[in-house]
Amino acid sequence: MTQKNDIPPALLGGLEPLSRRSLLRLAAVSGVALTAGCARVFGRRDAPEALTYVNLTEDEVRVVTQFTRAVLPTSRHGLPDCINEIPTIKNVDIMVGNMDPTQRQLLALGLWVYEYRPMASFKFKRFSKLNEEKAHAYVVAMQEGAFFERGLTTTLKALVTLNYWRDSRTWSALDYWGPVTERWGVRRLGNAPLPQA
Amino acid sequence: MRMITMQREGVAVTQAKDIARDASLGRQFSIQADVVVVGSGAGGSVVAYEMAKAGKKVLVLESGRYWPSAEFTESLGDTLSKVYRDQAAQANTTTDVLFLEGNCIGGSTVIGAGVMQRPPDEIFKRWSEDLGLTDLSREKLEPYYAQVQSWLNVNTNEAHEINTTAHKVIQGCERMGFSWRPVARNVKNCALTGHCLAGCPSDRKMSAQVTHLPWAAAYGARIFSDTEVSRVLMKGGRATGVEAVIRDPDTGNVVSNVRVDAQVVVLAAGAIHSPMILQRSQAPDRGGNIGANMAIQPFTQVLATFKEELFGFQGALVGVEVDEFMNSDGFTFYSALAEPEQLMAVGEQEAGDEHIKFMKSYKHMAGLNAFAIDEGNGRVVWEGDHLGGRKVIKWSPTRADFERMTRATSIASRIFFSAGAERVWLPTFEKMHADNVFELDQKLAQVNYGINGIYSYRMNSFTPHGTCRMGLDPYTSVVSADGEVHGVSGLYVADASIFPTPVPSTPHWTVQALATYVAGRINARASSHFLS
Repeated sequence: MTQKNDIPPALLGGLEPLSRRSLLRLAAVSGVALTAGCARVFGRRDAPEALTYVNLTEDEVRVVTQFTRAVLPTSRHGLPDCINEIPTIKNVDIMVGNMDPTQRQLLALGLWVYEYRPMASFKFKRFSKLNEEKAHAYVVAMQEGAFFERGLTTTLKALVTLNYWRDSRTWSALDYWGPVTERWGVRRLGNAPLPQA
Repeated sequence: MRMITMQREGVAVTQAKDIARDASLGRQFSIQADVVVVGSGAGGSVVAYEMAKAGKKVLVLESGRYWPSAEFTESLGDTLSKVYRDQAAQANTTTDVLFLEGNCIGGSTVIGAGVMQRPPDEIFKRWSEDLGLTDLSREKLEPYYAQVQSWLNVNTNEAHEINTTAHKVIQGCERMGFSWRPVARNVKNCALTGHCLAGCPSDRKMSAQVTHLPWAAAYGARIFSDTEVSRVLMKGGRATGVEAVIRDPDTGNVVSNVRVDAQVVVLAAGAIHSPMILQRSQAPDRGGNIGANMAIQPFTQVLATFKEELFGFQGALVGVEVDEFMNSDGFTFYSALAEPEQLMAVGEQEAGDEHIKFMKSYKHMAGLNAFAIDEGNGRVVWEGDHLGGRKVIKWSPTRADFERMTRATSIASRIFFSAGAERVWLPTFEKMHADNVFELDQKLAQVNYGINGIYSYRMNSFTPHGTCRMGLDPYTSVVSADGEVHGVSGLYVADASIFPTPVPSTPHWTVQALATYVAGRINARASSHFLS
């Protein structure tokens, strides 16, 4: 894993250096969460264990993985596992590789905030060190927090859930049919005829 | 008699890979044309066709890539990353509003829901009488609307195009006494797949990809993809062409720089990018109007879950509209429930077991989308030099916009409760749902405007407009009544940028009507623009 997107040292001192605008802009990632052009590159059937993460740092992978587990407790619901079967994190990783530098830095900042946001009710533990139950409670607390915490949580949620539910292996659980044109044998009409003069 | 032949499928497009393969072009080349059209969406495709049909040598430059409809996958997740601009991440400065647009040959006509709507009469009255744009009266524009209707097969949905989501909306409206009607769409023999937002692989949606672009090509227009116009060239108060960069769409690497020498330049890159091209070109802007006055027509979606299975994602994506409030409140509702991926862009979708439960109720869901008029206070700005700068989109809801959205949410929720919904999911950044109208009012009272309304309602925009508005006065507008940029002969704008005021209706039909009108004005003034 590369560390090329290390957070600037000035930001490591706590929450103070974060301007409100920067925090707000974290939600740029929410748009990016609608992206994930990953499947076309890696294919949807790649086994996650065979994948390496080239854009997320090791720390970031830990946070995203913890977040994904907290938001998507798939094993309890008979769904394909969000880490080991569906390459959710890999999808996020590829998406991150396509971000522009500003968005990339904001994501790094957002994940750092998620990891280190001090909360007394969680004994000031790092997010990635919490057990699954506590991690879920942490996400809920952030969702009910200040407006920028809500924005950040919504953003990250969109990021990981999109990268999970876009996989066709999850659709049967929703009774969603997915693409149908080919299955139904719908004929292509081609171009519309030229208008008559 | 001239023989016109047209491809049966697809469009002849010169792509970056074609340029890269042609060693004779090198890293820099130039092209001559009578008319260069920037953008291949609703406006650009129409102008390209009209000018090519008039015998002009037309070149269309599109910044996005060419995705032939045969390659559409009906997977929204894939499409968002491939076909939408910035991978659907184009956002305002506070990043709580996404601006979704097609970034491909055909532009947003490829990924739109195909809803076609005319503005209410009051809008035409304001344009033609209050603003003095006499050619924009309803009567004078009618032939243009009629032409678009005929050519793009704009028809009102029939009974088989009303899906279960729409039926729930109808049921609610009937009980509430609200006016509703089937929407008009530009679709030919809809296959009812429900995948409009991911493009139509069977070419039934009458997008520019299957209509005006192949028609323009049949008349000799050339179309380039992967080609981003950096600026318009001007000399002595006249437009003389454009400079553009051709990039490999996979790597972003520059393949070539191209200069197009043209006698007329038509910008049709959409309401976000057309003004930024003008800004990069340092076009005259006496009143500081280029990029200003942006209306975004914010839309938000109320979801409802019903006891029974609806499979509301099947069938025509948009079935009916609730038109009761367009004149009184400035918003319209459209029934629609798209692919599961779409749910991630609306509302707050819970976490943990609650999230899974929410997703598993997908087949019980219906969706109602509110599109509202806004006050047109947004602005787009190109910051920095013409090659290395960046786009900035500024828009936040005013208090009036916020209150309009609250009312729209309340009405949409009531429609669903009247239809028997067990729960409605409110489109907020906070976790918020209601199981009855009493709870609904209580919950909506908790949504507060806060700081400039940011992170209040989850709003997105498919339809920004007004950033190069048309008007008679160069101090208060950008383009003249002909669509020509004030102070620059031969430089026209023909997209949603030129709307003189915000509109509450979906703009596609009006964009194509106005683009036809602008093309007509260019042709009418051909002797002053063209040497031959």
